[in-house]
This record gives sequence, C-alpha cells and structure tokens, in this order.
Amino acid sequence: MAMEQDEILRTPAVWHPGDAREAWRLKEAFGPAGVYVAGGTLLRTQWEAGVAEPPAHLIDLTAIAGAGEVEMDGEEAALGALVPLSVCRSHPAILARYPLLAEAARVIAAPSVRNLATIGGNVVSRVGDALPALLALSAQLVWQAGPEPHACSLADWLERERRAPTPASGVLVQIRLPVPPDDTTSNAARFFAYHKVGRREAFMPSLVTVALTGRIGADGAVEEIRVAAGGGQTVPYRLDASEAALRGQTPDGKTLAAFQACVEEEYEPKPDLFATEAYRKRAAANLAAAAVWQAARDAAAGRKG
Amino acid sequence: MLLNRTTSGSRWRTRPDGPGKVTGGLSYLTDLSLPGMLHGLVLRSPHPHAAIVSIDASKAMALPGVLAVLTYADVPGLNRFGIARPDQPVFCEDRVRYIGDAVAAVAAETPEIAVLALRAIEVAYEPLPVVDDPERALLPDSPLVHPEGNVLHRNDYRTADVAPGFAAAAHIVEETYVTPRQMHTYMETEGGLFVPEADGRLAVYSATQHGFMDRMQLARILGRPEADIRVVSSPIGGSFGGKDELNVQPYGALLALATGKPVKVHHSRWESVRAGLKRHPMKIRMKTGVDANGRLLAHEVEIVADKGPYATLGAEVLNFAVEHVIGPYRYDAVDVKSVNVYTNNGMSGEFRGFGGNQAIFALEGQMDRLADKLGMDPWAFRRLNLRKTDDAGPLGQPIAVTAGASQVWEALAESELWRSGTGRGSAGSGPGIGATGGKSAGHDGSGEEGIGLAAARVEAKTASDRGQATAGTPAPPWIRRGVGASFVMHGAGLGVGIPDPAGGRLRLAADGKIDAVFGYEEFGQGLIASLEQMLIEQFGFAAEDVRIVIGDTDVVPDSGSSTASRSTSMMWQSLRRLRGPFAGKLIAAASAALAMPADRLRVGAGGIRDADGGELLLPYAALAAATAKAPVIAETRFEFPRSPVDRVGAHFLYTYSAVAVAVEVNLLTGRVRVADQYHTVAAGPVVNPQGFLGQIEGGSGMALGFSLTEDAVMSGGHYLTENLDTYLIPTVAELGGTFEVEPIETLPEGDEYGPRGIGEVGSVGLAPAIASAVYRAVGKRVNRLPIDPALLQETDGWY
Repeated sequence: MAMEQDEILRTPAVWHPGDAREAWRLKEAFGPAGVYVAGGTLLRTQWEAGVAEPPAHLIDLTAIAGAGEVEMDGEEAALGALVPLSVCRSHPAILARYPLLAEAARVIAAPSVRNLATIGGNVVSRVGDALPALLALSAQLVWQAGPEPHACSLADWLERERRAPTPASGVLVQIRLPVPPDDTTSNAARFFAYHKVGRREAFMPSLVTVALTGRIGADGAVEEIRVAAGGGQTVPYRLDASEAALRGQTPDGKTLAAFQACVEEEYEPKPDLFATEAYRKRAAANLAAAAVWQAARDAAAGRKG
Repeated sequence: MLLNRTTSGSRWRTRPDGPGKVTGGLSYLTDLSLPGMLHGLVLRSPHPHAAIVSIDASKAMALPGVLAVLTYADVPGLNRFGIARPDQPVFCEDRVRYIGDAVAAVAAETPEIAVLALRAIEVAYEPLPVVDDPERALLPDSPLVHPEGNVLHRNDYRTADVAPGFAAAAHIVEETYVTPRQMHTYMETEGGLFVPEADGRLAVYSATQHGFMDRMQLARILGRPEADIRVVSSPIGGSFGGKDELNVQPYGALLALATGKPVKVHHSRWESVRAGLKRHPMKIRMKTGVDANGRLLAHEVEIVADKGPYATLGAEVLNFAVEHVIGPYRYDAVDVKSVNVYTNNGMSGEFRGFGGNQAIFALEGQMDRLADKLGMDPWAFRRLNLRKTDDAGPLGQPIAVTAGASQVWEALAESELWRSGTGRGSAGSGPGIGATGGKSAGHDGSGEEGIGLAAARVEAKTASDRGQATAGTPAPPWIRRGVGASFVMHGAGLGVGIPDPAGGRLRLAADGKIDAVFGYEEFGQGLIASLEQMLIEQFGFAAEDVRIVIGDTDVVPDSGSSTASRSTSMMWQSLRRLRGPFAGKLIAAASAALAMPADRLRVGAGGIRDADGGELLLPYAALAAATAKAPVIAETRFEFPRSPVDRVGAHFLYTYSAVAVAVEVNLLTGRVRVADQYHTVAAGPVVNPQGFLGQIEGGSGMALGFSLTEDAVMSGGHYLTENLDTYLIPTVAELGGTFEVEPIETLPEGDEYGPRGIGEVGSVGLAPAIASAVYRAVGKRVNRLPIDPALLQETDGWY
C-alpha cells in the first residue's frame, strides 16, 4: 500500500537534454519508464483518460538546440520537429511553399493546443492529421535513433508502423520537404487540397483526412498527382493505385468516376463508434474526386483567362 | 421589429454580472476554498447493474491523511434523494443500478490521497443482467431494475377513438422519431464547499436551481431540521436543469459533518458525465391522418423514454412530452400513450425544454410529411390546423388567451429568410413543394428540376468547400441549400398538481440600498440583469440604488424554483404586486420625514423626489436612517397561475415561437451546416433585450448540438463518450451565420400575466426546422437525431 501511495503521489522526473543524442541516450537508459515530451498535448489526454499512466521520467525535447527552427534553401525545407502547429499554420515560407501543410495545421485541434503541440508530435503519433499532407509532400524524416542521425521517407516509416507498430526509441529531429518545382512560367496549373472530416466543424478528432497535390497540364490532363488519406485511428498512406488511375488522364466524368471508385477501394479506414468504414471510404473518395474536379475546372478557367 | 442592440436603444444595458464573468474575475462557488479544508471524492459503481456483496473500507480508513470514509451505514436520515420521488440512494446498500451510483465517499487532506483512498475501498460485486434498452425492458421476461418493475410512469391521454379518423383519412403519415441522450455540458461541473459552522449549523455553498428544495432534501438525509442548514447557491456556471436535482451535496454535507471540517467536492468532467443527468432519450412513434383538405383527423402517439435507474423528475418530463406531442394543433381525435422506463443506463432528468424538444421534433416532422402528401405548402398546412385564439390548450385545459400562435405564424411567413426558401425556391425542392404554386428553381432561374440532387447551384452566402468563401462566390455544386421552419408552443411553470410558489421582497436596507430579495438563482441566464432592469424601469430607481439579493436560504423568501421558464415572469408579477405597497410605504415614510404631503413626492433615482419638478428631496440613505426603527419592507407570496383542471402537469401560460433556418448540406460528407436563423417569439413584453436575445441564441445553440453533434452514447450501460473530446458540443464554427430574433410583445387587452417565459423555448424549434430544411435541400427525411451524415452522403450527381 505504501509503495502504491508513493507512486501515486510522485510526479515524474523531468529531464532537459540539450541535444537529440542526449535525449536518445536518456531514453535508452530509462526504457519504457522514460517518455519523450514536447508540447505534451496528446500525453495529457492519455493520462487524463487513464489509457496511459504518467511515466517516471519525462524527457523534455524543447531544449534541443535548433529543433524549433524552420530552414529553407533552394532544394528543400527542414522543419524542426519542435515547430509548433501554430507556426506551421502561419509561417510565411510554409504558407508560400507548402500551403497544403499550412491548411492541414489550420484544422488541427484549437488555437491554444496548436501553440503547444508540435509537428513532430503530430508525426510520431502515427495518426496525426498533418500526416496525409506530409505524405503528399513526399516528406523525409530525420531521426536520432542511435549515435548518429539517419533519414528515411515518411511513407516507408508509416507503412512499417501500419503493418507492425513498434514502440518509439528514437527522437524525431526534423521533417524535410523537397521544394516543389517552379512552374510559374509554364501553362500547367498546380493544385492542392486538404480535407478533414469530423463530427463537427472545428476542434474535433478526425474521421477522415485527405490530402492531394498535383498538376494539370496545358492540355487539361493530370500530369502529376499525389493522394494520401488517413483520419481517426487509421495510419495514413499514399493511395498509389488511385494516383496511377488518374495520372495522364483528362479528368472528365468517366475518369473522375474511375478515380473515385479507386480511392474508395484503396482507402481502408478503421471504423469506430462514430462512423462506419463505408462512410469514411465514400467521404474520402468524394472529397478526392471533388478536389480534382475543382482543380480541372480552375485550370480550364485559368487557360481561358 | 427585429431585436438587437440598435433597435433596443437605451434599453440595451451591460449586465451587472457581465464584467466579472468575461474577465474571469468572478468567483463561483466551486472556486471557494478554506484553510484546512478536506477534499471529498465519491466511489461510484464500476458496473451498470450488480449486487453489492460486501464493502470493506478499513484499508482506506487506515491511510494517513484520510479523515472519513462513509457508506450507507453512515447516513443518519433518509438514505435517498429525488425532487419528486426520493428513490435514488445517497449510498447504495445492496445493489447498484448504474455506473454513476455512489457506494462510498471519502474525505482526505489532499485530492491525491482521496484518490488513493477510493482505490483502497474494497467492494465485492456480483454483476447482474444489464437492462439497457427501454423497449426490451418492458417485455415480461426482462430483468428488473427495481423489484416493483421497470416502469416509472405511464401517462395516457385520449380524446376519442382514432380509428374512424384513420379510416376516413386521405393521407396517413406514420413515423418513428429518435432523439439523443443530450448532456447539459455546463462549463462549471458540479461541486461545492461544505462548512460546519461554529454554532453547529451546516453551510452549503453549492449550485442548485432551488435552494429551499436542496435544504429540504439535505435535512431529510442528514436527519436535521431545515433551519440548521444554510444553502448558498449562486452564482452558478450554467445549469440548464442539470443542477436542479442534488448531485454532490449529500456527500459534501455528510463528509463535513462527519469530520467537523470544511470539505470541498468538485466533479471532474469525467465524473460529471458519468454521474450527471442527461436529456431523456425518447423514441416517439406517431401516426397522423388528414382529410383531403388537410384537416387533422386523428393523431396517435406512443412515447418510450429511457429513464435510467431513478425517478428524479422523470414523470414530470414525460407528462410535459405528452402535452407537447399534441401541441398547437387541432385534431378530431387524439390518443397518446407514454411510458418512462427504468434502465441501467445513465440518469435522465430535467433539461431545458423538459420533454418538449423531443416532442416537437416528432410533431413538426409529422406536419411536414403530411403537408408533403397533401401537396401543400408546409407552413400553410400548419395554419389550417392551428389552435384558434380562444381554443383550449393541448390537454383541453383552459389557458391564458393570447394571439401568439397566429402572430408567430404570420411573422415567420413574412420573414425574409423563409421567403428566400420558398418564393425563389431553395436548392433542391422536395416532392410536393412545386404543387403549392411556388416555383422551385435555383437562384440562377434554371427552373424546376425535381427532387433534391438535381437542383442546386446556389449563391450561398458563406458556403464553399472550406465553409468560408466571400459573399458572391458560387457555392460548389455539392453544397445544397434548403430553408425549413417549425412551430413551437411551449408551456411555462410546473403545471397543475405541483406546488409552484412565487414571491419576493423589497426593503430599504439600513445603508440606503433598495434590496430586491428573491429566492431565484443566477446560472447565466441573466436573472440579475433582468431584475435590475425591471426595478429601474418600473420604479424609477437608479442602478446604483438597488442591490439584488438571491441564492441564500438564510435571507431570501421561497420564491419557488428557477426552472420551467418561470423566474422572470414571477419576478415581474412580484414587482407588479409590490410596486404600490412598497412605493407607498417609501413615500409615506418620506412624507413624515420631510413633513410634506405624500402627493408632492415620488420615488425616483437616488431617493424621494419632488413629484412635479423632480428634484431630489431625500436620498434613500437618509430615508433609511429616518426609518431605522421601522424599516420599509414589502413582501408578496402567490402561486404561479395555473389552469383550473384536474390534469397533472397541464400548463396555463404558453410561449409561442416559429423558427426558420437555412442549412447547407455537403453531399461529399453528408454534413449539415446551419447557415442562417430566424426566430420569432410571442412571449409578451421584452423585459431585458440583451437577456431575451441571449436566451434565444443560447437555446438555439443547444438545439443545434441536439440536431447535429451531441449524443452521450452508451453501450451495455457504459458511457462511450466520457469527455468533451468525444461528446461534441457546437463551437463558434457551428454557431456562425445570421441570427434574427423578432419578439412579438403585444398581449390581449387586460392580460394580467405579463412577460411569458423564454428560458427554454429557444432550445426547442431549431431541430425540426433543420430537419425540414435538410429535406428541402436534398429531399431526404430525417427521423433520428443527431443527423447521421451517412444518410445524406451521395457518391454521384454532384458535378
């Protein structure tokens, strides 16, 4: 009894490593008793709901040098994992180059939560609503999961996690995004769309998230298309077959219907109490097809204009 | 005339309790603390239904820092509570009947130790079969929640045999309507501070809607005289009916008396969800027949309500639903059967609207469907069957006469919003709408295209796939707009057969303030502001002359409960009764003090003034000093006016309202967005413009949640929505759009009842109006709330 009383009355020890390697070493040392924390917004909901107990050791990542920076050069952008969602939503360079990500960040949680919650936390949750956008942007992840950092593609990591979730040991340090080609001088029209469907209009868990980015050529055909979907407890992924079905096609009624059917088939959401699998599939397929329809219409109007 | 800040002019006042609330400066009762106070927690059943085999609190009691662990054996008086029928155990003895049932309570030095103590209490249960479906609970082989059976209350009402009416009917609509388990979701969860006083009395600082009812119930539990208990109950961070019944008070009181120390109890949101009341989920089957001209011939209704385990006001809510499923219409024959059924689900009870929300959703759904079958305009169809000004009430009872029904009908018919949905055709015309002669065309005039999906290319004011494009941007083709309407007749007061006292007191206090002393509560509805405004406007006092005294059983008279849309009406009537006597006494005293004839004096701002010139002759402080030996005081007591019938619950005073709403349905997701609203309300004079608007807007916000997002989902007697991350109330993103309120203030010559209640009516009409608007947008009928988006989702036809 006394032991239990001690445990309940104890608050976790909080560690403040100054770099990612030290953070990883602490985690190695503590094992399951150590938990990384940045904004802490997701952890708090888990503790309050009783699905996780506060750990003995919290490894605070906010002191890691440079982890909160946004850096851009001609080839790629590097978002520190500690960049708050509120910054993803409003940073001028992100808005200019990656409006898809800014749009995803705009509809996650609520302003007070976005000020604390980080893009890295959203990624490592494996079901964060920014993930479909990052997938559509072909993001790379930089991890500190050993003495030296290493990079892998977000899509590959999520695919592994989708098949067999593994407990985190490494620290996510950075998210790298390739710079989109500059085609302002061509007649092609670049488009993007991000949709989050929940049970109300704001500050709600998602049921379905869909992100698209692509390009409509001067001839009206879809030259490039990337589609990713997630939502709820579904680990998001790229819809490769759906992309292939649309690539090179002119989005008329027939090809759009085929694309829509393909998304509905390929997207396999996890149902829960609040929405069936069928509803989620239809929503994702509808939103993806509608986004392409809208893009084609806008592109046509642009060519006329 | 629309009610808003501009049209209200100088009557638009800053509410006295407003600054403290918006700045966070105001202390609520759950903010109170005292040095050395203990923290109380309640151990609740982990099982929806189980026998208690044993309770062993010895380990908990032995923990350092634990000062009391109480069970049923420690209740000195009646181990039960319940406003209407005390059947809910303070602590369960041998059986638990829902997951909120209390088994024990602890008081400890810190909240953490209290948590530990709860875990150390050993309770052995034997789970029993769970009764989680009210319809199945009525079957003969159902397990029993209570030994006497699973029926709390039946209420049937029949005027004549409905069979001939159905036989003669040209059209019959039969439909079953299902409504959700809505949570009050007050921002301040239940809680309070319980303080044993030096003189042996107990002070209870905890929210309620009727301090004297809490005092009586606590006296019964504690086995003490009521006079030994003081209940301080305002200000309150929201209630909506949910804090009218006892919640934390029995535990706080028992723990404080057991330990002799102040005890604070304050529910987490989790515990509030688990233990607290919800709106009764109801299943309402209706069968209604009309003749070929649209006259209502027969109306048959069956209501099954899910009570949860204990009575509280379940019988009264059911009675209210019975009255309101009949509502504002005339029928040749009515036959209503209803039952409120005990289950092992969560507790249902009192909630703003009180059974009217469920009833009117069903009734108005019938009216829309019948109009459709007849090929009539749904609003014209309602008019055809509306009760006339001198008609009896829904239960055949005499009611206070007003023209409210026809007034709100006409106001809505002329409203811009409603006309925008009919004359020019809303997006997506339902079958039959074309037959009224109204053209069902898109804004672009592309002509009639039949049902639903084909019809819509609308200029929605705020629609886009993001929901916030600028005006004039064409909405994408998957957004369909529709305008719907509903009609509400809502009774106020507790009704026939239930004690319904009212009254209040005015006095000139020793410090020269005019004390307005009432036993009502401020839970955000604006009661203090309304009372102040009435004192200013009816007596001529200045705001700084008056002091509102409420929410303390040691000082206020029993004015009855702050429920049932009754407080403002009763304060108005009280002041009307007190005006002559109190002003007369003030003037008589001033006349003596000033040695001036009474007819040269009048009551005014700051003090007694010259009746003609208006100059201040005697400030109230001076008058108070002059009357120190015989203070000026006037008091009134009366009963809420009631109908002279022998039908329990029948109402006498009614408020009428009509609601129009524009919705946008997104066919991609099936989600419904409420765009614009219009509410017209006939409730007599507007006492306080800001308060009136606030009640209608706030009520409508709750109705929006009831319609689109809110449902406390249960499975096997357990809540699946345990916190506000899954139980979703509307946010500011849902509550946008235009919102017009048009009060109708006229009352018949000689009406002596004054302003009618508006506290609930705003929460009633929106749901059926939304259902109607959805139909006009996409041609699909909604019979279940909250609306399931899957119903409205379309995989094609939208581009």
